[in-house]
Amino acid sequence: MSTPHVIVIGAGSTGSATAHDLALRGLRVTVIERGEVASGTTGRNHCLLHSGGRYCITDQESAIECIDENMVLRKIMPDLLELNDGLFVAITEEDLSFKERFLKACADCHIPARDIPVKHALEMEPFLNPRTLAAIQIPDGVFEPFRFCLAFLATARLHGAVVRRYELVTEIISTGKSVTGVKVRDYRTGKIETLGADLVINAAGPWAEDVAAMAGVRVPVQPTPGVMVTLDCRLNNMVLNRLNKPSDGDIVVPQRATCTIGTTSWKVKDPDKITIPPDHIEKMIIQGEQLMPIVRKIPMRARMAVARPLIVKDATDERNVSRTFECFDHVYDGVDGFVTISGGKTTTARAMAERVTDIVCNKLGIEAECRTREVPLASYRLFYQGGQQ
Amino acid sequence: MATLEQPKVRRAGRWFDVRHRKLGMWAYALNRITGIGLVVYLYLHLVVLSTLTRGPGAWDAFVSLARQPYFLVLDVILLAGILIHGLNGLRLAHTSFIEAKRQKVLFSALMLVAVVALSAAALKIFGG
Amino acid sequence: MKLLDITLEIFRYKPGQQPHYDTFTVQVEDTAHVIDAIDKVWAEQDHTLTFRRACHHSSCGSCALRINGVEKLPCITRFSEVGDGKIPLRLDPLRNFPIVSDLVVDVSGFFQRMSASDMSITRDAESTLPLSVDDLGSIVQPKAVQLPDNLSHFNRFENCIECGICMSACPTMAVDNKFMGPAGLAAIYCALQKTDDPDEKAHLMALANGEHGIWRCHSAFECTEACPQAVDPAGKIMALRREITANRLMKTRRG
Repeated sequence: MSTPHVIVIGAGSTGSATAHDLALRGLRVTVIERGEVASGTTGRNHCLLHSGGRYCITDQESAIECIDENMVLRKIMPDLLELNDGLFVAITEEDLSFKERFLKACADCHIPARDIPVKHALEMEPFLNPRTLAAIQIPDGVFEPFRFCLAFLATARLHGAVVRRYELVTEIISTGKSVTGVKVRDYRTGKIETLGADLVINAAGPWAEDVAAMAGVRVPVQPTPGVMVTLDCRLNNMVLNRLNKPSDGDIVVPQRATCTIGTTSWKVKDPDKITIPPDHIEKMIIQGEQLMPIVRKIPMRARMAVARPLIVKDATDERNVSRTFECFDHVYDGVDGFVTISGGKTTTARAMAERVTDIVCNKLGIEAECRTREVPLASYRLFYQGGQQ
Repeated sequence: MATLEQPKVRRAGRWFDVRHRKLGMWAYALNRITGIGLVVYLYLHLVVLSTLTRGPGAWDAFVSLARQPYFLVLDVILLAGILIHGLNGLRLAHTSFIEAKRQKVLFSALMLVAVVALSAAALKIFGG
Repeated sequence: MKLLDITLEIFRYKPGQQPHYDTFTVQVEDTAHVIDAIDKVWAEQDHTLTFRRACHHSSCGSCALRINGVEKLPCITRFSEVGDGKIPLRLDPLRNFPIVSDLVVDVSGFFQRMSASDMSITRDAESTLPLSVDDLGSIVQPKAVQLPDNLSHFNRFENCIECGICMSACPTMAVDNKFMGPAGLAAIYCALQKTDDPDEKAHLMALANGEHGIWRCHSAFECTEACPQAVDPAGKIMALRREITANRLMKTRRG
């Protein structure tokens, strides 16, 4: 029996980690991506390697996923991370009232959290608001989403996976009630090609609905962009989070020689046509100033916005969206051989990949253990070598 | 997949394309052009010197040629090449082994020296 | 905030076809960046336009191209820096890379060079903040930082984002297609600083000292001028020359 061939649509964090897991378990994998690797949602990520602190009070499931995956990524991609921990900082009395709840919630989610004397916090972060009332240290980190994806894909390629960039899936081909392949158009040559597959995974992020429609099914994904502002200098070594319920602009993530304030949230119909609401930029500066007053004086280096794929859990209540991920086996919608993996965040991409790969292997009758928690990733530089175009 | 490569001739021609480039690129291009020029000159020089083997008559013929005004212009051009190449060479030695931060200022200063020296020499050569 | 009408003349090449330029006009906010205009052209006018991009904030290095002949990262280039809508913007792919399609170049050779030194993308962070690749003048004064109890050092990503701009600006890259290039040589320098292993040091120095290494640089310094991340590759190449020469002299004296 020949090895099953799986097509993964999308080379963002989900698609990249999924290709990696599939390839490690011995399946033949082809990734189809319409642009550059991570050119969709993943690329314009906030770059925060979540400790889970942000979700420990309001979304414990998400928080536990985050801290677990945080520890795994430190093991499999140690050279691709800035590991300077992070601080949850109380600026107002209202923030301060969260402190005990926060510490307890961290403990409940096994997130290591340390209550730091404010004086010490100001010594570690000299640009931190001097009116800080409390600071709690947690194991946040910083990654680069592009190299994150390249590392997973490089490893997948070493195990036989093929990655095809600048190719758009134009049709999903079915025979009877089963998906049996895709038609792709190569944007470079204009050529149309048909690729057969034993199973197709839809990892197209906010475009997942468009892809699913090609197979005649629906997925409840709401494209939800947010704005981030990158400043022209790095003001903090550690990630700074506002100690409170999650809100707009409550995180400043440092990276290299910059820092990025984010984020906001609004809904769109078409993830390819996003206009940044001008007041969102100003809001980031205002919120950033609360954590570090000098923010206002620093020139802006960049601003980015991209749609996140939020899963609409309850179709009647649009506020009820969760940042955990979901896997949809469309056999339950009457279409076999087609699986969608959506939602989630880059920090938990590996876990998302494990879940969807488990489902896929089950469907294809492959018995292979997931090794992605242990196998260190190959050098991201290898992705573009050895015949990759 | 077929990628588009720049044809070899055009690629080699890139080193003297100073459009949109900064001062250091001028130094690079000038150094190469004067370098080629000096090599050509060296060959010609040896050819000329070899006329000595054909006796004083042949040499005198060359010397009277060398006194013509247009030939003196060539001398000035040669001197320009020597000054540019030599002084830029000092800049290269300085940036390689002492410090590299002020390479643009160094280039401007040394080329100013070259212009002054060349002007003085040209005056001498044509002034008699 | 006002709207600008931006004209883009974009280099187009598809395998088997003649290269040419296509002209597009898009309306963008004056506070946007050039990458937003390219993205809009793609989204609204021509899906066959291929270009590289990912992070939109100068961390991935993938969007590097030439704007009116000069290498830049379009994700951090404001329209005010390139004519503010008053002149058309000619977009070309980087020089000295094989062109795959339109603005997409083949970076396999580039990453091979970067892999040669295998420079780690992370390094120990400075003991003062802030850090910047631009000159902030007197906007903010440096302040010392203390470490938390549980960390022996802060770390950060290297300045170099492997964008390839220096390789495009370098005249020697155009002439010698085996040259390690400014990025490759700068990476060797950085890797050398981070290792104490004498064998590793010897290997890296031999790599720099090789036939297509530091001595092929003829001091145009265009790499340092063009680098958007203040890596100063030319400075590092010169530092390598000093280090290798000193090393050679020491060996000669000893042996």
